[in-house]
Amino acid sequence: MGAVGAIFQKELRVEFRNKQTIVTYLLLAFLILTSFRFAFSSFDKTPTAIAAPVLWIPIFFAGMFSMTPIYKREVDESTKEGLLLAPIPHSAVYVGKLLASLLVVFGLELFTLMLFFVFFPFDLPDMAALMTVLVLGTLGFVALGSIISAISSQLSQAGVMLMVLTIPVLLFTVVLSAVSATSEIFGGAGLADVGNEVRFLAVFALVFIATGYLLMDFILEA
Amino acid sequence: MELFGRIRLAFILISAVLVLNGIFLAMIWVPPHETMGDVQRIFYFHVASAWIAYVAFIVTFATSIVYMKTKDLKWDNWAVASAEIGVVFTTLAILTGPMWARAIWGEFWRWEDLKLLMTLVLWLVFIAYLALRANVQSRRSKATLAAVFSVIGMLCIPLSFAANRIWIQSHPTVIASDQGEIVTAGMVPALIVAVFAMTFLYIALLLLRVGAAKLQDRADELKLKVGD
Repeated sequence: MGAVGAIFQKELRVEFRNKQTIVTYLLLAFLILTSFRFAFSSFDKTPTAIAAPVLWIPIFFAGMFSMTPIYKREVDESTKEGLLLAPIPHSAVYVGKLLASLLVVFGLELFTLMLFFVFFPFDLPDMAALMTVLVLGTLGFVALGSIISAISSQLSQAGVMLMVLTIPVLLFTVVLSAVSATSEIFGGAGLADVGNEVRFLAVFALVFIATGYLLMDFILEA
Repeated sequence: MELFGRIRLAFILISAVLVLNGIFLAMIWVPPHETMGDVQRIFYFHVASAWIAYVAFIVTFATSIVYMKTKDLKWDNWAVASAEIGVVFTTLAILTGPMWARAIWGEFWRWEDLKLLMTLVLWLVFIAYLALRANVQSRRSKATLAAVFSVIGMLCIPLSFAANRIWIQSHPTVIASDQGEIVTAGMVPALIVAVFAMTFLYIALLLLRVGAAKLQDRADELKLKVGD
């Protein structure tokens, strides 16, 4: 547990020491939202049906960008050997980095959510339900993303490869469930109405947290 | 080695005979379908390709697991060979499907059909798998990372299935499908031959590709010995 905490703190320190990277993710989310605002400017009143994709797409893309360097920087800075030689299990590295990444992506989501309601005058939906879907969707997304980030850190074109490898797995699972649940919530549904999607997102998150925990040995020593 | 070559030759010859036979049965021997007409003839190639897509994926997954257990590169050769052939056959299934669908359903693709979605997921995962391999330098890392990704891909299949089932329940099929029986008794022999032909073709291609991968490994070894 101490190892997980140490990795978590180290990750956050590295992330916030170099502030321009965090600003870049926020800027990317902001720009994608602005593009949507611009693209839908011809509508007199923005249709509620587009709310869910407009909210999730900046989160997915900025989130994937934020996860690209979490293992890549260990390779670039030649700190990977040190990390592997440290007397801690590799799964602790995965969990520590996962928690730090979750914190960053949650921050990114709060920022996106605020801008989203400023840019698009939607009626406030059931916020408890929306937050549950956001948190569970993010858990699964970041659990998978940090496994793929460990894989892509060892590939050429790490940034593009993270997306190429993540999107096929994410598309018809997390993206589909999260977007369809969010759509229903914006249409006036409560948490009970999207129970199936919420349960699915929870299962997805559990499956990939377990996968990362079990497979990290193979990936880091490849 | 001699035996491997002979088995390979046998599979190539058998698959050649079966493929020609299959084309004859599907294109000439079987009468036009009662309701769908000649368009239905593409069905034999479509079903057989889709079948190979699933077989190839399972073979890639299974050999990847064995590789992770044994760390023997020969299993990785089987995995990549099967994945490459799998992409070709999945592409064939995804191309022939819409050709038929446009004529019968009046549209190329149905987003509410689970079979279509699962084949698309399979195709995307296969392509990502090959893209991953293309971007690794070292032979060992390539094999290990690809094996890990094939496990993730295999987990993605049942999860996509479950997510889509939930989604489709709340978005029911709008267009009623009433195109009559797809498989009639007269079609069965042609279908069986087509499936067997594609299976033998798959095995023949797999053996050829594994042979090529073995030679590649041997060439790399020799290069290393000479000092590149």
